[in-house]
Amino acid sequence: MTEEKRDSNKRLQEFIRKALKATIKGVLFYGIYFVLSMFLAPVPEIVPGFQQMIEVFVMVYIFLMIIGELTAGTIFHHFFNGTKALFVILYLVFSLNGGIVGTTVQNVNLIIDLRLFLAVAMLLGLLGFAKSVLQAINFLNEKTEHVHF
Amino acid sequence: MKCIQTPGKWVTMRIPIRMISITTTIFWIFLIVFLVSAVYSAKDIRFDFGGPQIGLTSDNKILFSLPITIDNKGYYNIGCFNVTTEILDKEGFMITRTSTFIPVIEKNRRVMATHNVTIDINDLQNSQDYLFNDTELEVRETVSIKLAEVIPVQASTNLSMPWGAPLYNFTLGEIEYAGFNGTHMTATIPINFENHASFDLTGNIQICMYNSTNILVSKGQTTIETPQNTQYHGHIELNVPIIGITENGHFEVYFLTPLFEFGPLVIPYD
Repeated sequence: MTEEKRDSNKRLQEFIRKALKATIKGVLFYGIYFVLSMFLAPVPEIVPGFQQMIEVFVMVYIFLMIIGELTAGTIFHHFFNGTKALFVILYLVFSLNGGIVGTTVQNVNLIIDLRLFLAVAMLLGLLGFAKSVLQAINFLNEKTEHVHF
Repeated sequence: MKCIQTPGKWVTMRIPIRMISITTTIFWIFLIVFLVSAVYSAKDIRFDFGGPQIGLTSDNKILFSLPITIDNKGYYNIGCFNVTTEILDKEGFMITRTSTFIPVIEKNRRVMATHNVTIDINDLQNSQDYLFNDTELEVRETVSIKLAEVIPVQASTNLSMPWGAPLYNFTLGEIEYAGFNGTHMTATIPINFENHASFDLTGNIQICMYNSTNILVSKGQTTIETPQNTQYHGHIELNVPIIGITENGHFEVYFLTPLFEFGPLVIPYD
C-alpha cells in the first residue's frame, strides 16, 4: 500500500515536472511570438488575415508543444513532435499559398515572393520530422535493449 | 528482477539526433530573425516619386520624365530595383514599354534616378484618333525590389492617363473667294483647331484643293505655332484658276510637324 502510494506520488511529481516544463516552453514561445509580432506590426495593416494566420499557427504549435511535453517519456512524445514538424510544413505551404503572397491595397497589387523562405522552412521542417522519426526509433531501440532476466 | 543494459548503441544515436536538433534550431532562429528584420527594415525605405515632366526628346518623341528618389535606411541592401511602365491604347495595344533598373541600393544610401518614358506618335495605331480626339491611355506601372537582396516584392497598379489631341476639333471654314487677276482668284480658307496636347505644336499645314472632277486646282501651306491648351484660328490663302473652280470638291490636308506627319485628311467642301 505504501509502495503504491509512493509510486503514485512519484507519478504525480513527474507529471507536475512535465507540466511545468510544458508551461515554461509555452510561455517562452508565446513571449518570442509577442516580441516578433511587435516588429511585424505594420504587416497586418497591409496584408489582411496575416494576424489571424499567425495566431492560429502559434496556438496550434503551442498546443502540440504542450501535449508533446506532457507525453515525454512515451512514444507519443515523438509522435507529437513529428506532427508538429509536419504541421509547420503544411501550414506554411497552405497559408503562404505556395510562397507567393498577394494582396491589394488601394488599387495597388502587392506580391511578395516567399518561395525561398518557404523552401528553407520546409527543409528545416523535414529535418525536424526526420529527427522525430530518429528519436522514435531510438526510443523503441532503448526499450528493446533492456534485457530482463 | 534485474535489468541489464547492453553497451550503449543508443548513446551513439543520441549524438546525431542532438546535432540535428541544434542545427535545426540555429537555422530556424537565423531564418526567423532574418525574415522579421528584413520585413521590419522595409519600413525605413522611402520611395519618392516626383511630379512627371513632359518634354520632347532630340529625335522628336514625347518624353515623360519621372524623378525617383530611394532612401534606404533599412538594415539591408535593396537589390534589383526596377520600375516598368507600359502604356497601352484603349484597344490594349502596347504603345511603349520602358524600364529603369538599379542593381543595388546599399543601406544608408540615397539614390536618385529618372524614369523616362517616350512615346512616338507615329507608332500609334489609328493615329487619326489620337490627333483629333481626346482619349484615355492605360498605364501599367510596376515597381519591384528585392528586400535584403533576397525577398522579391512587387507592386503594380493600373492607371488611366488622359490624352489630349493636338488637333482637336480641326475644321476648315467657308471658302471666301476674292479677285486676284483676270485668270485667278484668291481662296481664303479659315483653319480652326484646339491643341489639347501636353506639348506645343509647331509645323506646317499643307492643303491641296481638288474640284468636283478630282483635278488639283491649287495647293498651299501655312505655318502653325500653337502652345499647349490653346486654340488656333488662322487661314490659308490659295491662288485658284477661275476655270478650275467648281461648286463642290474636296481638300486634302497634310500635317507636317517635328512630332508627327499625317495626311491626307480628306475634307469635302461645297
